[in-house]
Amino acid sequence: MKKNIIFLIAGMLASQSCNDDFLERFPETEISRENFFNSAEDLETYLYSLYDFPGFDIYVADNSTDNAATTGSTEVKNMMIGSPSPSNITGGWSWEQLRRVNYFLENFSKAEIDPSLLSHYEGIGRFFRAKFYMDKVKRYSDVPWYDKALLTDDPDMYKARDPRALVVEKIFEDYEFARQHVQEDARAGAVNKWVVMAHMARHALHEGTFRKYHTELSLQGTANTYLELAADIAQQIMDEGSFAIHNTGNPMEDYGSLFHNPSLDGSPEVILGTFSEFDVRNSGWWGYMFGNYEVNPAKDLLQAYLMDDGTPYTNQAGYETKLFVEEFQNRDPRLYQTYAYPGWELINTSTYAQGEGIYVQQLTKNFSGYHQIKGFVNDRDAALQANIDVPVIRYAEILLIYAEAKAELGVLTQGDLDISVNVLRTRAGMPSLSLGVAADAILEEQYPNVSGPQASVLRAIRRERRVELALEGFRFDDLMRWHAGKLIEKEPEGLYFPGLGKYDLTGDGVDDIILISNAGTIPAEGDKEVNGLGKKLIYYRVGPQGSDASFYLTNGTSGTSVTDPERGTFTEPKYYYRPVPQDQVVLNPSLEQIFNW
Amino acid sequence: MMNELYKHIIGGTKSLLPGLLMLVAFFVPAQELVAQSDRATIQGTVTDAGDGSPLIGANVLIKGTTQGTITDVDGKFTVDAEPEDILVISFIGYLTQEVAVGNRSQVVISLELNSTSLEEIVVVGFGEQKKVNLSGAVDVLDSKMLEARPIQSVAQGLQGTVPNLNIDFLSGEPGAAPNINIRGITSINGGNPLILVDNVPMDARELNFIAPADIKSISILKDASSAAIYGARAAYGVILITTKSGVSDGFSIDYSNNIAWSKPTVLPNKVTDPYIYMRTLETSTDNTPWDYVNYTAEQYAWAKERSDDPNASGPVRVNPLDNSLWDYMGNRDWTRHYLDNPTTSQRHNIAISGKSGNTSYYLSGAYDLQNGALKLAEDKFDRYAVRGKVNFKPFSWLSLGNNTSLSLTNREKPFYLSIPNLYNIAPTAWDKNPDGTWANNAAGRTGAQLTDGGKDLEKINMFQTTFSGELSFLDRMIRVNSDFTVRRDNINYNGYQTRYNIGYGPDDVREEGSNIARRRAGYLSYYVWNTFATFEKSKGKHYFNVIAGYNQEFNRFEQFTINRSGVISGSLPTIGLATGVANVTEDIGEWAIRGAFYRLNYIFNDKYILEFNGRYDGSSKFPKDKRFAFVPSVSAAWRVDQENFWEPLSGTINAFKIRASYGSLVNQSGVGNYDYLETSGSYLGGYLVDGALPQVVSAPPPVSSNYTWEQVNSQNLGVDLGLFQQRISASFDIYKRETLDMLTQGRELPNVFGAAEPRENAADLETKGWELSVGYDDEFNAAGKPLHFTAKFILSDNRTRITRFDNPNNNLTQYYEGKELGEIWGLRSDGFFSTQGEIDALDQTSVIPWGALTIVPGWPKYQDLDGDNVILKGTSVDDPKDLSVIGNITPRMRYGVNLGAEWGGFDVRVFLQGIGQMDYYPLHYLYWGFYQQPYAGGYHHLLDFYRGEADSDIERAQHSQSYIAAGLADANTDAQFPILQAWLADRNLGERVDQAQGLALPQTGYMLNGAYLRLKNLTVGYSLPHSLLERIHLKRLRVYFSGENLAERSEVKAYFDPESITDNIAKVNPATTAGYGWGYAYPFQRRYSFGLELQF
Repeated sequence: MKKNIIFLIAGMLASQSCNDDFLERFPETEISRENFFNSAEDLETYLYSLYDFPGFDIYVADNSTDNAATTGSTEVKNMMIGSPSPSNITGGWSWEQLRRVNYFLENFSKAEIDPSLLSHYEGIGRFFRAKFYMDKVKRYSDVPWYDKALLTDDPDMYKARDPRALVVEKIFEDYEFARQHVQEDARAGAVNKWVVMAHMARHALHEGTFRKYHTELSLQGTANTYLELAADIAQQIMDEGSFAIHNTGNPMEDYGSLFHNPSLDGSPEVILGTFSEFDVRNSGWWGYMFGNYEVNPAKDLLQAYLMDDGTPYTNQAGYETKLFVEEFQNRDPRLYQTYAYPGWELINTSTYAQGEGIYVQQLTKNFSGYHQIKGFVNDRDAALQANIDVPVIRYAEILLIYAEAKAELGVLTQGDLDISVNVLRTRAGMPSLSLGVAADAILEEQYPNVSGPQASVLRAIRRERRVELALEGFRFDDLMRWHAGKLIEKEPEGLYFPGLGKYDLTGDGVDDIILISNAGTIPAEGDKEVNGLGKKLIYYRVGPQGSDASFYLTNGTSGTSVTDPERGTFTEPKYYYRPVPQDQVVLNPSLEQIFNW
Repeated sequence: MMNELYKHIIGGTKSLLPGLLMLVAFFVPAQELVAQSDRATIQGTVTDAGDGSPLIGANVLIKGTTQGTITDVDGKFTVDAEPEDILVISFIGYLTQEVAVGNRSQVVISLELNSTSLEEIVVVGFGEQKKVNLSGAVDVLDSKMLEARPIQSVAQGLQGTVPNLNIDFLSGEPGAAPNINIRGITSINGGNPLILVDNVPMDARELNFIAPADIKSISILKDASSAAIYGARAAYGVILITTKSGVSDGFSIDYSNNIAWSKPTVLPNKVTDPYIYMRTLETSTDNTPWDYVNYTAEQYAWAKERSDDPNASGPVRVNPLDNSLWDYMGNRDWTRHYLDNPTTSQRHNIAISGKSGNTSYYLSGAYDLQNGALKLAEDKFDRYAVRGKVNFKPFSWLSLGNNTSLSLTNREKPFYLSIPNLYNIAPTAWDKNPDGTWANNAAGRTGAQLTDGGKDLEKINMFQTTFSGELSFLDRMIRVNSDFTVRRDNINYNGYQTRYNIGYGPDDVREEGSNIARRRAGYLSYYVWNTFATFEKSKGKHYFNVIAGYNQEFNRFEQFTINRSGVISGSLPTIGLATGVANVTEDIGEWAIRGAFYRLNYIFNDKYILEFNGRYDGSSKFPKDKRFAFVPSVSAAWRVDQENFWEPLSGTINAFKIRASYGSLVNQSGVGNYDYLETSGSYLGGYLVDGALPQVVSAPPPVSSNYTWEQVNSQNLGVDLGLFQQRISASFDIYKRETLDMLTQGRELPNVFGAAEPRENAADLETKGWELSVGYDDEFNAAGKPLHFTAKFILSDNRTRITRFDNPNNNLTQYYEGKELGEIWGLRSDGFFSTQGEIDALDQTSVIPWGALTIVPGWPKYQDLDGDNVILKGTSVDDPKDLSVIGNITPRMRYGVNLGAEWGGFDVRVFLQGIGQMDYYPLHYLYWGFYQQPYAGGYHHLLDFYRGEADSDIERAQHSQSYIAAGLADANTDAQFPILQAWLADRNLGERVDQAQGLALPQTGYMLNGAYLRLKNLTVGYSLPHSLLERIHLKRLRVYFSGENLAERSEVKAYFDPESITDNIAKVNPATTAGYGWGYAYPFQRRYSFGLELQF
C-alpha cells in the first residue's frame, strides 16, 4: 500500500515536472527588444525617453558668474574657494543617456518602415548622442568615444580617453547626419531639423571659439572650421527656417513677454520650448528666484546694458557711483524687462522679498539688492505659474551665433549685422550696431585676448549676447569658451550708497529707506520717520562685512552692497576642465587626468 | 443540518454582545450569594505515583473556590470541605488530579509524573511531532503567550519571545508591517522567513489580515533541516501559524475586547523660543559661504518681545512693511502640536467553537480600530476579520474540512501626511491667521494640507478559502492529505488632492495645490495546492515516519492606476468628475513554483532520532535551464536522558537531548518575477509634446546570463535540557549559515557602462550565531493559595561576514571579502580645534563639506591615524589612511524577558525586550538640526555648541532674556557640539564613506549606543472565581489593564524612539548613498489599555 502511494505520487510529480508550461511566465506589461522597434510609433515612443532639455532652471543658472551672485553652492564656487580634487569634484561622469541612445541605434533599423522615415529617427538618435558628447567634451575635453551599448565583458570599458579632436569630429558627423535626415515638421515640443541645427550651430560656435582661445589644446589651427560651420548652419536656419524675432512693436514688453508666458507654442522666435500645463506637467516654477534666497543679479551685468542712445553706460561720468534710481535712467529697454527697476510693482508675494505694491528693493546681507524679473511670474495665480513655458532655444541665439562666428572669422559685414544683431536691437527699440563701433575700454579689459580688425565689433557682439541672453544660463559657457574664467573672480556687486542717510529707491523722489550706522539702533515702530507719502522709512543698519549689521557695504558706511566677497582663484587652464572622478580612475587606470587635475 | 447550526450561531451572535456587557454588571454582587453549610474536615496525603514518596508543597484546592492549602513535609494536608466538593490537587511537574470528597474524611492521592511539556506536540512542516523527538531547531509559541498581552498584530506578539526571531517595527504607523527575520542577515538581497498560516503563505504585511485571537500556536523552524520540506522560499526559516479549531465537545463562546489610549513615546525636543531659534539659525549660516538666513533687526526685535513676554503681542500681526500681508512670530513646538495627542483604539473579538458528533467548528469575528498620532485629520487603520473553520469526519477513514477567512482592512490618512514635514516646521511659524484662515507658513500650510488637501484611502479585502481532506488507512498508519487554497485580494485605493486656501494677508486668500484624483485597483489571485502522504509505524523499538508530497503555487497580481487632474468639484474628487488627461499605468506579474518533497524520520528505542528531508523545486523566476534545484538535509538527535547511565542524574536533569543538523536550501527571495529577462516598462515622458505627455519606453536594464538560485547551507548544533521535573527548561543552539551565489552586481564596472551592473550569482556570505532560552515554571504557596510563577529569558546573537565578493581592490564603497556586515568606517574624534595653530598643523581640507566651509576653532578635529599630518579618507581596506572601523550597526545580543505570575485569580505579566549591543551614528535632522540644513530645525541638545568668545555688550543688549539665560551669549569652549555651521553635517553629498564629509562622515565623538531595554508590556488581570461565574452561566471572565511601551532605557531615547533606528540595517550595504530617510519614523506609541475576556 505504502509503496503504491509513493509510486503514485512519484508518478504524478514526474508528469508534472515535465510539464514545464506551468513555470513559464512572461511579462505582460513590459516589452523586450524582440517585440519592439518594429514600427514608426515604437521608434518615436523610444526616442521620447531621450529628451533631456532644460526648463525653468535656466533663469537661475547664471549664478556664480559675473552676471549674478549666489549664496548657494555651485561647482565652480566650490572649486575656486575649496580644495578641488578628483575626490570631491565628482559630478557629471554619468553615461546612462549614452547607453540609451546607443541601444536605440543598435535596434531601430529592424523597423520595416519607409527608409527616409527610418533615417529621420536615426537622425534624432544621433542628435542626442552628439548633444550628450558635447556636454562631456565641455567638461572633460578628451573622453572615451563609444558608439555601442557596452556589454559587461567589453574590454573597451577600460580604454583610455579619446582625443578631443576625434570625439568632436564624431559629434559633428552625428549632427550632420541628423541635419540631413531629421524632418522639418514635428509635433510641438518635439525635436525637428531646426532643433538639431540650432544645437549644431551652438556647439560649432562653442568648439570654434574654445579651440581659438584655449591654446593649451593646441587646436587653434582647426578653430575656423567650426566657426565657419557655426556661421553656415546659423545662416541656413535664418534662410530656410521660418523663424522670426517676436516683435509687436512694443519694445518695453516684447522681449520680456517671452519669459513668463503660459503659451509659447507657436511663437515664431521659439525653436524649441519646454512647455507646461497645470497639473499635467507643472513648470516647476518657484517664486523664490525673486528676492533674497540664492540668485541675485549683479551690478556688472547691469552696467553692460547700453544707454538707450546706443552708447555704453560705462562712458557716463561717475557711472560707478550712480545711485540705484539713476542707474536705470535712459537704458536699453531690455534692462527693464530683466531687472526690477525703480517703480516696478510686485504683485506675486510668494517670494523671499516682502512688500506688495511698488517695490522697494529689499536689502540683506550677502545679496546685491538687485532683483530679477526675467523668468519671474509676477502673478499670484499658482496655476498660471505652473503653466509657464520656457523658451529653450530662441531664434535670437541663432542670430547672435551668426554674428559672433562671422566676426570671429573676421568676415562680418554691416549686412550681416543688420540681419542679425540689429534685428534684436530693433525689437528692443535700440539704435543699430554698426561695423565700425568704437572700441570700449571696459570690454577690452574684460576680453583682452580678442584681436584682429573686427575686435571692437566682436566685443560689442559679446556684450549684445550677454544682454540679450542675460540670466538664461548662457554666461558660464560663454566665459569658458572665451577663456574669460578670470572674470568670475570679481565679486558681484550690489547697490551703491555714498553714505548713511535716506534714499529713494522707487524713483518718485520720495525717500524710502534710511541707512544708519550699525552702532545705532533702529527706533521702535512708532518712532520711525514717515516719508512724504505717509509711509514709514525702512531702516537698515549698515557696516563692514562680517559686522553686526542689516547688510554690508564695501567701505562700512558707503560703497556697494557686499554679496560674496570670498571668490577664490580661477586657476587657468585647470578650471576650464573637470577631473574624472577618483573612483572611476581606480576602476579604469587608463583614464588619466589632464590639465593638472 | 449545517445550515441550521450556522443560523443558530450567527443569529445568536447578533444579540450576544449587548447581553454580555449587561452581565458584567452582575458579577460583584453575586459574590455575596455564596452560602455556607455543613462542612467536614478532610485529611489526606499526596504521593508520587512512581515511587510512593510524599510530595511536599502540592496544592490542594476546592474546585471553583479560592479555598485550599498545601501539603506539609510528609505530603499531608487538612482541608474543610462539603461532601459535594471536588478537591483539585496539583503539583508542578505532575498531572493535576481531581477527587470527589463524598463522605470520606481520609484520602490518599498519587500523582502521575507530568511529561506534557516534553510530550508536547509541535506543528512541523506537513505534520506534527512530539517535542522530544525533534532533531531540528524548532521553537514553539502557544496561544497562552499571545493571549497574555493585548496585541494588535501577530508580529507584535512575536517580538522578543523566541530567540533569534527578530522582529523590528520601523514605525508606529497604524497597520505598519514589521521586518521579520530569523537568525540574522540572510543575504545581501534581503530574504525573509516564509510565513505560513494554516499552510498558506503570507508576508509580514499580510499578517495584518489575521486576528491574533484566532491563533492557536506558532512554530518557528530555524534551521535548514526543519525548513527543507518547504524548499525554495524557506531558506531563511519558516513561521508556521496554526489557527484555532473547535476541539471540545459542546459549545463555547469567547468574547474579548480592548480599549486603548495612545501617545507618542518620544518626540524631539525642539527649540520653541523664537529668539533663540532665529539667532542660532542665523548664526549657523553666518559661518558659511551660503549665508542666506538674515533676519532683520525688526524681526529680532519682535522675536525678543515675544520671547521676553509671550503675552505682550500675538503670534500674528499685519506686516509693518506691507500691510497687505500677515507676519508671524510663533513660539510653539509644531511637532508636538500636531502629533502629541492621545488617540484611542479599540478591538473586539468573538469566537464560537465546539464539537458535535463528527462535526467540529470554529467561527470568529474580529474588529480592530487603530488611530494614529495625528488628530487634525482622520489617520487610522481598521480591520474586520471573519474566520470559519469546519471539519467533518463522515467515516473513520475520511475527514474533510474547510477553512475560510475574510479580512477587510482600511487605511485612511490625509493625502499630504508627511512625517518629515511635521518634524521640520519652524517654531516661529503659526497655524492660523486672525481671520481664521490657514497661515502663510509651514505650520499653516501643513494644517491646510492635512485638513483640506485631500485624502488617501486604501481598502484591502482578502478572501481565502482552503478545502482539505484526509484519507487514512490501516489504523492511521497511512494517511493521504490534500489541500487546495484559493485566495483573492482586492486592493482599492482612492486618493485625491484638492486645492486649499492660504491666507497671505487680511484680504488676500489664495488657492494653492492641485486638484488631482487618483485611483488604484489591484487584484491578487493565488492558488496553493499541497498533497502529501504519510506513513507512520512503530514496531518494537523502531519508529518510522515517512512523508512524501507535492506542492505547487501560482500567484498573479494585476494592478492599474489612474491619475487625473482637473477635478471639477472638491466635494466629489473622483476620476469620473475630472477634466484633465488621465494618466494610466498598469502592472501585471505572475510567478509559479512547483516542488516535490519528502521526509524520512526514524527513531530507535526513543533514544536515537534520525531525519532526512529533501525537496526538488522549480521556479518561474529563473531562466528555463536554471530553474530547478534539489535540496537535501539531514538531522539527528540523541536523547541522552533515556540512556541507562543517565538514571542517577535523572532526578535533577530529567531531560537532556543533543541535536545536530546540516542542510542545504535554495532561495529566490529578492528576485523579481522577470528579472532574468531583458525587458522595458513604459512610463509617462517628462516633456509635453502636442500638449500631452507621451508614453515612453526606454532601454531595459542589462541582464547577466549567470543568473540562478542563491544557495543556503546551514548547520545547527543544539542542546535541550530539563531540570527538576521541567521546572527549569533550557535550550541552546549554535549555528552557521552560508549564503552562496548571492545575486548581486558582479565586479563594479566603470560608469561608462551606462547602467547599473546586472545582478549575477557573484557573492557569498556567512552568518554565525547562537541562541539561548531558559524557562522557569513553578508553583508556590502564598497565603494559602497557589502562586504560579513563570519566567522565560531569551538571548541571541549573530554576526555576518562576506566570504566572497568580486572587489579585487577591496574598495570601501563595496562589499569586500572578510567584511563584517554593518561595520561603520569613520574617523576617530580628537575633540575640537581650539587654536589656529592647531588648524594649520593638521590638514583636514579633504573632509570639508562641499569643499567650501571654513575650518575654524571649534571645528571637529580628527585623529591622524597614519601620522602624515593630513586627514584623508582611504579608498580601500588595504589603505584606509585615517579611516578605521569604529562601530557596527547590526543589532546584537537581542533579548527578551517574560515574567508571569498567577495568584488567587490575579495575573501579572511583565515583558521586557531589547537589544544589547548596537552602534548608531546619527545622520538625521532630529539629531543634527541646523548642522545639517538651516531648515532642519533647532533642538535643545544642540544649544551646547562651541562658542569661542562671549558676545559683546552691544550684542547682549539685543538678545532676549531667554537667550542670555541659556548661556548662549557666553563662551562655551567645553561644548558637546562643534561651532555652529550649517551644512557641517550635510548628508546631501551622499552617505557613502567616500561621499560623506564633515559630521555626515561617522566619527567616534558622536557615535551613540543604540542598545535599549524596553518595558514592552505590563499587564495586570483578574479572573473571577468559578463559583461566582457558574451562577451567571459564564465559564470565564477576566478583566485587565495593560500598558505597552511603558518605559525604556536607551541613549538614543533623548532624540528618537530607540526602535525607530532599526531601519539602519539597510545601511549594511557600503554602496548605499541614500542621503535621506533613516528614522524619520511615524511616532511609536505608548499605549494604555483596558479589556475584558469572557467565555460562555
